Amino acid sequence: MKSKVPIWQRGSFRITVAIILLILAGGAVGGVYFTQIPPEQPIQFPHNFHVGLGAQCEYCHTGTATGPSAGLPTTDKCWGCHQQLTPRNADMELVVHYAEKGLSIPWVPVAIQPDFVQFNHQPHILAGVSCSTCHGDLTTMTVAEPQKGQNMGWCLDCHQKMSTPEEFVRLSDCATCHY
Amino acid sequence: MSDNISRRDFLKLSGLGITAAAVMTGCGPSSRYVVRHAYVDMPEYNQTGVSTFYATTCQECPAGCGIIVRTQEGRAIKIEGNPNHPVNLGKICSRGLTSVQGLYNPDRIGGPQKRSRGEQNITPMNWEDAVTVVTNGLANSGKVAFLLGLTSDHLFDLVTEITTAANSMPPFRYSSLATLEGRATLVKATEEMFGKPNLPYFDISNSDVILNFGASFLETWISPLAYSRGFKNFRKQKFGKRGYLISFEPRQSLTSANADLWVPALPGSEGYLAMAIGKIVAQIKSLPIPLMYENITISDASKISGVSETKLQEIAEIVARAEHPIAIPGGGALVTENGLQTAKAILGLNILHKNLGVPGGVYLTNGDSPTTNLDEIAKLIQEMNAGNIATIFIHGTNPVFELPKSLGFTEALKKVPTVISFSSFEDETVIESDYVFPDHTGLESFGYQRVLAGSDREAISSVQPVVQPIHDTKATVDVFLAAATSVGGDISAKIKYTDEVDFLQQKITPLLDSGGFYNAPELPTFWSKWLQYGGWWKPEMGLEIPEDNNQLSEKIDLKLPKQLSENKEFHLITFGTQMGDGHGANRPWLQETPDPMTTLTWNSWIEINPDTADKLGIHDDDIVSVASTTGGESIEVVVYRYPAIRPDCVAMPFGQGHTALGRYAEGRGSNPAEIWSSLLNQAGNLAVFETKVSITPTGKRRPLARQESKAGVYGEH
Amino acid sequence: MAEKEGKEKWGMVIDLDICTGCQACVTACSMENNIPFVGEDEMAYGRGMQWMRIRRYWEGEYPEVAPAHEPMLCQQCGNAPCEPVCPVFASVHSEQEQINLQVYNRCIGTRYCANNCPFSARTFNWFDYELPAPMNSYLNPDVSVRRRGIMEKCTFCVQRIVKGRQNASASGREIADGEVVPACAQACPTDAIVFGNLSDPESRVSQIARSDRAFRELEELGTDSRVTYLKGGKNYGS
Repeated sequence: MKSKVPIWQRGSFRITVAIILLILAGGAVGGVYFTQIPPEQPIQFPHNFHVGLGAQCEYCHTGTATGPSAGLPTTDKCWGCHQQLTPRNADMELVVHYAEKGLSIPWVPVAIQPDFVQFNHQPHILAGVSCSTCHGDLTTMTVAEPQKGQNMGWCLDCHQKMSTPEEFVRLSDCATCHY
Repeated sequence: MSDNISRRDFLKLSGLGITAAAVMTGCGPSSRYVVRHAYVDMPEYNQTGVSTFYATTCQECPAGCGIIVRTQEGRAIKIEGNPNHPVNLGKICSRGLTSVQGLYNPDRIGGPQKRSRGEQNITPMNWEDAVTVVTNGLANSGKVAFLLGLTSDHLFDLVTEITTAANSMPPFRYSSLATLEGRATLVKATEEMFGKPNLPYFDISNSDVILNFGASFLETWISPLAYSRGFKNFRKQKFGKRGYLISFEPRQSLTSANADLWVPALPGSEGYLAMAIGKIVAQIKSLPIPLMYENITISDASKISGVSETKLQEIAEIVARAEHPIAIPGGGALVTENGLQTAKAILGLNILHKNLGVPGGVYLTNGDSPTTNLDEIAKLIQEMNAGNIATIFIHGTNPVFELPKSLGFTEALKKVPTVISFSSFEDETVIESDYVFPDHTGLESFGYQRVLAGSDREAISSVQPVVQPIHDTKATVDVFLAAATSVGGDISAKIKYTDEVDFLQQKITPLLDSGGFYNAPELPTFWSKWLQYGGWWKPEMGLEIPEDNNQLSEKIDLKLPKQLSENKEFHLITFGTQMGDGHGANRPWLQETPDPMTTLTWNSWIEINPDTADKLGIHDDDIVSVASTTGGESIEVVVYRYPAIRPDCVAMPFGQGHTALGRYAEGRGSNPAEIWSSLLNQAGNLAVFETKVSITPTGKRRPLARQESKAGVYGEH
Repeated sequence: MAEKEGKEKWGMVIDLDICTGCQACVTACSMENNIPFVGEDEMAYGRGMQWMRIRRYWEGEYPEVAPAHEPMLCQQCGNAPCEPVCPVFASVHSEQEQINLQVYNRCIGTRYCANNCPFSARTFNWFDYELPAPMNSYLNPDVSVRRRGIMEKCTFCVQRIVKGRQNASASGREIADGEVVPACAQACPTDAIVFGNLSDPESRVSQIARSDRAFRELEELGTDSRVTYLKGGKNYGS
């Protein structure tokens, strides 16, 4: 027997649609969430400890003032200090392991931009922007954490606040970051 | 239908959710973060994200242009010209630009191999065993042969030292590019005219009229970038003066296309033209007619070459009025049976104008001049056939592809017990080899290059690695040095270098204070400057001035070009392209960069005058069979109706038609060397333009990828 | 899209009298800008990705026949036909460099811009063209690798302009004339291509652009193109 109720008015149909939409939305939210959690790092590097010891950011990330990329410290750079230390924990023993084997430490940078964004540290540093403006307060982090909401609006917002209207012509130009 | 959702459905829907997550976040969570391997110990001069530039020498052709390679994080990114280098002054051609596609080519040979000839039966080996194989080859010093490319580099110098020490045959050299350029003929003619077997340098920058006899100096001839630069200066002289280029060629090359006057002369008749022009010029300038040009009447020259008398008169008047007219004997005119005499007649025009060693005139380059003498190669083939060669080392050339098939090199190679190739790619010669011990590519190796024919001064260009070797390759010089140490006897006693860099440093030590643009008190300083600047050269122009020893009183004997039966027989013109000697065919961007004249890509073609094609009933994109009328060999090739070629000539580019050399080169087009005649001229140069062919339509068609048709050639799609 | 006169107005002059048509600029452009090669079939379909092409037209009849070579690239029109038709503002005019930009991350591939370009200067990524490893090693890190469905075109090597500007500003000076050179002009064996800032009347490019031989392609369309050609070859002096 054929039911006279149209398909979209049936309870079962509506429940099915609702579940599908929920699952889709849940998947999307989950996906977005997964991109926001920090990746697994080879060493639980305590930024807070190193900053607390008085290490300047540029000591390890040397390229900021002179080039596009801040750069990751080489294994030798770590070893420069760590060879004078006795390992107190597993992470410090890992440093010894990498340095003695002559291996590079497989860091996973978290402050990254998509491929179509060309970011250059140098002009930002020369304009007096501090590291923490974009990278957050490293004195409270162990491994670096990705900062939330760093989208194009965020970039432009800062560009506008920090510049005169004439400068903003250049700082809002697409080719400043996209080419 | 059940209203319940089963577990299975739920799983399906969850899958949907994961897909949605992937779609809505771009490409999925996992690809957002990438592991970066930082340096363990970064060199001082490096910075992440900032390019490092190295000066070295382009190895794509023997011209030896200086290049600056942009590298970043240990990868070679872009080739740029070295602005200080005397050959190219910062300029660069398509071939140089694509050399990174050679370095990073996916079809490179990864390490030393033992192979079964003609088969894909490959056994990898280690370098120690490889050196042992080379040592065994060298040990039999009476039966060893070296076949090298044209570059006068450190490898050639080392091999020469080895063969001298062992008293074995000196190294042979071959390059199809040099064959098409008529290098051997040019050098021989220069020797007979000016007493020195050196390549001449034509200062076209300062001349006001160029009489170009078949030199495609804007594309491949001798040193194309140097001559392109010269061409610019020639067109843009002081006070708005603009040079006038006259080009004699049966098929319009890019050089002739840029000429103010293109004269389609019959191949082999250029000598008559030069004589006629010399005679008229002497008459106009009321000079005594030199013996060299006496023996011709203008009407004969006109009849033989197909150039009208009025045009000859007109050209001669332009030449006579000019201050520094320069006559260049180039490829097309020299690779005929008349080649040597023609070259002398053309060089003579410069003597007639007293255009030697003056701005806008002819000079001689320094030192030895690498040529390809086919006489010698023929002798090598004889020796191989006679079983006198036990081991042949092949480096920097691909003889199986580049030599005319009629010479029988491939068959002779089968009689050599041990064939060792040093090629980076599995080319046609590697397929016929027992061993391949891959050398580094140009961007990974050390070296130097002497004799830069495009340089207006004494210059030696340096080669240095810009990246770490990416495969298990080894410098051929190091292989030979290791073998020379262990082989014993004369070789070990006389060849005493620890490694390649030691060899180079010993060789350049005499340059330390010999008046270059920098001097150094000791070797380490010199070495760092040598690497930094990309070589060593003199601070100002200085080349040898050729002497006028009354050479114009020598008579010239020319053979009449052969008559062809109309529309049945054609002269086959082979011209060089950006593929160079053929090894450029595996660079995808060289394949995709259109040919300047036809805009064709990724294939080879045969150019036929539209009138001739109409008579034969041939259309664009028809496949025709091109058969040599002397040898009987034939190839199939696609037709391009080319408006700028003599009706009695057809033309084919060289460099395609590979049966090996990797995914980008294989199975594209055809190789004209298969039908080349093996006739030689008096200088031992292959007389390529003496090849006569017949054309037969096959009824098949294959559209060629032409850029000139922006909408595409496949029609509606 | 009216332009305000700024400090930068990049332009190019191509001297057809010394342009030999050798195609070095085409290869240089392709290697600099990570342009994918598409292979024989795709080339034959007219889907070649070269941002620059040398137009070759035969003139005359044998034996007085010669080709006219003319490098054709995006003319970076001041009044660009490609810009108003883009529904997503991926084809936009830059206020700073005064060139046409193609913003890859905005482009949705409608191809309206290419249809409206009178110079056929735009190319479209019909597919993802993968480079087999290790060939991807030579990709220029300064230029985005475009994916399928994206329109692209000559950018006047804007990555070099930006780098030049950043270098100059880091050392506290203006960009010098000749400091920024696109890959084509850098390679050109005869120096037929001159690039520079047209807003500076003393720059080399401005001076050459004032030549009597100067003309612009399809000037009657009023696109105000930034590429000036100098008549040459057989037209010389006429």
